[in-house]
Amino acid sequence: MRVEQLSWSEAVGWSASARIGAGLVLYFGTRRALTCGKRYRELRAIYPDAHVVGCSTGGQIRNDDVTDEEIAAAALAFDATELRVACEPVPSPNRSRSCGEAIGKALAARDLVGIFVLSDGLHVNGDALVSGITDAVGQKIAITGGLAGDGAEFRKTLVGADRRPRTHMVAAVAFYGPAIRIGHGCVGGWDEFGPRRRITRSRGNVLFEFDGKPALDLYERYLGEDGVKDLPVSALVFPLRIFDPDRPDHDIIRATLAVDRNARSITLAGDVPEGWIAQLMRGNFDRLAAGAAMAARRAADGLGPSRTGDQIAILVSCVGRRLVMGQRTADELEATSAEFGPGISQLGFYSYGEISPHLVSGVCELHNQTMTITTIAEALG
Amino acid sequence: MHKLLARQLAKVHKRFGTVDLPALLQLVSDAYEQSDSDRRRTDRSISLMIQELEELNRELDRLVQERTAALREREAELCAQNLRFDAALKNMAHGLSMFDKNQRLIVCNDRYHEMYRLTPDQTKPGTTLRAIMEARLAAGIRAEDGHAYIEERLRKVRGRRPYCVENEFHDGRTIAVSKQPMHEGGWVAIHQDITEQKRAEKQIAYMACHDGLTGLLNRAVLLEKMEEAFGRLRQRGGAFVVFMLDLDLFKAINDSLGHPVGDELLKAVARRLSACARQADIVSRLGGDEFAVLAMADGNHREEAIAMANRLLAAVAAPYDVDGHHLNIGTSIGIALAPEHGTDVDQLMKNADLALYKAKSEGRDAFRFFEPAMGTEVRTRRSLQIELRKALTNEEFELHYHPIVDIKTRDIASVEALVRWQHPRRGMIPPGDFIPLAEETGLINPVGEWVVRKACRDAVCWPSHIKVSVNLSPLQFRKIGPIDMFCKALADSGLPPERLELEITESVLLHGSAENVAKLHQLRLMGISIVLDDFGTGYSSLSYLLMFPFDKIKIDRSFVRELSKNADCASIVSAVASLGRSLRIRTVAEGIETDNQLTLVRGAGCTHAQGFLFGRPRPAAELTFRESRPSPGGPQQIKSQAS
Repeated sequence: MRVEQLSWSEAVGWSASARIGAGLVLYFGTRRALTCGKRYRELRAIYPDAHVVGCSTGGQIRNDDVTDEEIAAAALAFDATELRVACEPVPSPNRSRSCGEAIGKALAARDLVGIFVLSDGLHVNGDALVSGITDAVGQKIAITGGLAGDGAEFRKTLVGADRRPRTHMVAAVAFYGPAIRIGHGCVGGWDEFGPRRRITRSRGNVLFEFDGKPALDLYERYLGEDGVKDLPVSALVFPLRIFDPDRPDHDIIRATLAVDRNARSITLAGDVPEGWIAQLMRGNFDRLAAGAAMAARRAADGLGPSRTGDQIAILVSCVGRRLVMGQRTADELEATSAEFGPGISQLGFYSYGEISPHLVSGVCELHNQTMTITTIAEALG
Repeated sequence: MHKLLARQLAKVHKRFGTVDLPALLQLVSDAYEQSDSDRRRTDRSISLMIQELEELNRELDRLVQERTAALREREAELCAQNLRFDAALKNMAHGLSMFDKNQRLIVCNDRYHEMYRLTPDQTKPGTTLRAIMEARLAAGIRAEDGHAYIEERLRKVRGRRPYCVENEFHDGRTIAVSKQPMHEGGWVAIHQDITEQKRAEKQIAYMACHDGLTGLLNRAVLLEKMEEAFGRLRQRGGAFVVFMLDLDLFKAINDSLGHPVGDELLKAVARRLSACARQADIVSRLGGDEFAVLAMADGNHREEAIAMANRLLAAVAAPYDVDGHHLNIGTSIGIALAPEHGTDVDQLMKNADLALYKAKSEGRDAFRFFEPAMGTEVRTRRSLQIELRKALTNEEFELHYHPIVDIKTRDIASVEALVRWQHPRRGMIPPGDFIPLAEETGLINPVGEWVVRKACRDAVCWPSHIKVSVNLSPLQFRKIGPIDMFCKALADSGLPPERLELEITESVLLHGSAENVAKLHQLRLMGISIVLDDFGTGYSSLSYLLMFPFDKIKIDRSFVRELSKNADCASIVSAVASLGRSLRIRTVAEGIETDNQLTLVRGAGCTHAQGFLFGRPRPAAELTFRESRPSPGGPQQIKSQAS
C-alpha cells in the first residue's frame, strides 16, 4: 500500500498533485470549505480512479497537528485489496437502523474484512446505525469510523462518497481480501468524578432525570453561568459514563449533543437506558493524551506482523476532547504519533461521535469523547 | 521551552526567520485564558463534587442511623422472641427436638431430656441423630435389635415425609413421636408421653369385652364368638352348643343379704363356671344373674351337652361361703344346639333362652334342651302378658266372694275375695293362670291394689258383721308399701278396718325378715285381722305361729280331703285346732264339700269352715246375707241369683 498525504488551504490550494494511482481518497474539512463541492471535484480530478470519501468536522488532524483552516486528505493506493463504497441517505434518526442495514447488505461479502463509516453527525442514532450494519455483515466484521462534525456550531454536518458532501448521508468504505490489515483502538482517558447517579427517566437518547431530579439542572450547576450560556457545546467538558448495573465493566461514554431548557432534558449522542448508572467525567490533559496513546497502541497492535508498504492511522477524536484541551489538543496527537513511530502517517478529524468495537466486549457501537483510531495496512506474500 | 510555547512559536513563524508577534501574543493570551477557564471549571467542579459528596455522606449517615436503629429494634425483637420461644420450649408439656438436613441436632427442650433420660452433654447442638439414638437406647428404649432400630429410624428421617412412630421403654412408658420435615431440610419432632393414653386404651378395650364384676367376657363378645363359630360351621361343618344359665332365686339372696354378698356370690359362680369350661369354651356373663357358656362340640354333641350341663349344675349347686354366710343356690340351664336349633346368632340365643325359661318354669335346678313347641308356649304367654296390661284399664277383672261360715251357727262370718279375669275372647281365666304372670311382669301390684279397693268398696255395702278377706302374695307384700295402700283403700271406701282380713302364706315369714313382721304388726294395730293361709302345705313350722299372733289359721284343703281316709290327717287337723284354741286363734277348715267333712272338722274343734258345701265363689251382686244373727244350726243364707 502507498499513502500520499495532501492538504488544501485558501491561500495555497492543494499542496500536491497525484503521484500515485490511488483507489481511495479520504478528506476532512470544515462545513464551509466542503459545502460548495468544489474541493470534491478537485480531488476527483486529481484522482480520477479513486473513491473519494469525506465529511465535515470539528477540526482536521494531519499527523500531529490540528487545523481548522486547511482540508486534510490522504490518497491510498492498494496493491491487493478490493474496495467497495456505499452511500445511503438517512432522512431522520429513527431510520438509522434501516440505513445501516442497507449499507451492510450492499457491502456484505465472504471476504469482507472491515468497514470504515462516516455518518451525518446530527440526524443519526449512531447505535442504531451500527447495529443495522452489524446485523447485515455479522459481528466478526470490525466497523470503525465516526460522525461528521460542525465545529462548535452543531447546525449541519456533511458526508459524501464519490459525490459532493451533503447532510443526512452515511457513507462507508469496505475492504476485502486476505492482504488487508485493519487495526482499531478506542480509549477515552477521562476521569470519573462525583457520585454515581441512577437514570430514573429517559427516552431513547434523551435524558430527563438523574435520581428523580432534572438532568439539565445538574449540568447547569456544574457548568456555572458562563458555561450555561454556551450550552450545548460547553456540556462536552463533562461527558457521561453510563453502564448497566448488571454489567459494570461494559461502560460507555456519552457526549451531549443538545439541550431542551423547557423539558430540562439533555440529548446525548446515543441511548441512555432507564435504570442504568451514570457518572460525570472530566478531562485532564495528560490523561486524555495517555488515553489516546493507548488507543494508538491497540490499533497498531491490531495490524499484526508482515506489513509491507505505507501504513496509515485514521484518527477520529471527539470534538469534546478538543474543547477541553484547547491549544493542548496537539498533545494527544503527538502522543499517538509517538506511539506509532515514523512508519505510520496520521489523518483524521474531530467528530460528534466515534464508531468502534468496544474495548472489552468487542461489540461494534457508538462511542463519545474517545480517541478512536483505525489503522490500515497491507501484508503481502 | 514549554512544548506549548514551542508549538505557538512554530505557528507564528514566518519565512525568513521573522515572527508574527501579535499572533504569538494572541496565542499566549488565549492559552492563559484557557488555563484560567480550565482552572475555574476544575475548582468549581471539585467544590461542587465535595458539596454533593457531603450531601451524599449526610444522606448515607442518616440511612446508616436509620438502619442501625431498625436493626437494633429488630435485634431486640428477635431477642424477645427468642426468650418467648425459649420459655415456650421450656414449659411445653411435650418434648421437642429439631434437626438440620445433616441429621444434626439444632435444639431440644428440657422435657425431651427427661423423657429419654438424656444429659445435656448428650444433646449438645450438632450432635448427630445416630449418637442421640444410641444414647436413647442405652437409657431404656425397648428394641429387639438396637442396631436395626437405629437403621430403620435413620432411613425414615431420610424419607423427608411427615410420619409418626412410637418408642416403648423397658419401664412401661410409651412416647409418641411425630416428625414434620422443614422447608430447608431437616425436621422438627414432637415427643408426647402417651403411656396413660395407652393404658386407658387397653383398659377400654378390656372393658369393652369383659364384665366388670366377674371378669368374664360380656354379651357382645359372646355374640361375636358365636358369629365366628357360625362362620366356621358354614365353612367346615361341625357343631356347637350354647348353655344359657340363670341362677335360681338369686334375687332373694340379693334382697335379703344385700348387694355386696350377691356380687361376691356371682363372682364365685363365675369362677366355678370357668373351671367347668374347657380352654376353647367361652364363658360369659350376660347381665344380672344370667350366664352363658359357648362350647365347641366334637362328637355327639347332645350327649356332650348333657354331661356339660350336669357339670355346670353340680358346680353351681355346691355350697358357698360368702362373707360368713353359708349359701346354697341352684341354676336353671337352657341349651340350644347349633345348627339344629338355629342357624344364626339371634335365633340360637332366643331358643336357648326359651329352653332356659322352660327349665325355670318346670321347677328350676335343671336343664332343658330347646324344643320347637317352646316357642308357641312363650308366644301365648307373651300375648297374655300384653292383654293382662290392657285388662286393668279395660276393667276386665272382677271379684268373686267365697263364704266362710261359723261352724257353730253355719252363718256366714266372712267372705274371701277371689279375683277373676273376664277375658273378652278367652272367657273366664282363673287366678292360677294369670297371677304368676302378673307377678313376673310386676303387674301384681296394681292388680292387688285393685282387689283390695274393690273388696273394701263391696264390703261396705254388706251387713256390718260380715268381714271380707283378701289374699296378699309374698311378692306383693315385699314390694309395695301395703300399709299406705290399705289405709287409703279403707279411708276411700269407709270400711272399718276391723272388717278387713288379710290372708298371707307362711312364705311371707319364710325369709324371716323383721321388716315383714313389723309390717304385719302395723296392719294389726290398725285393726286389720291377719290370717295364715294354706297352713300345712309348706314347712308348717309351728314357730311361725309363735312369731306372729295370727287372728285365724286356715287349714289347707289337702288335710280336709284326706280326713276320712287318713288318720294322720285327722290328728293334724285336730292338733292345729287344739293349738288354735289354746293360742286363741280361730281355725278355718278349707275345702269342705260334704256334711261328713263338716262333721269331722267340727269334731276336731275347728271354728270355721269354707268350701263348696256352703256355695261356690260368686260376684258381689249375687250375695245375700242374713241381716240378723239366726238361731244356731239355722239354714245357710246365701242365695245365688245365677244358680
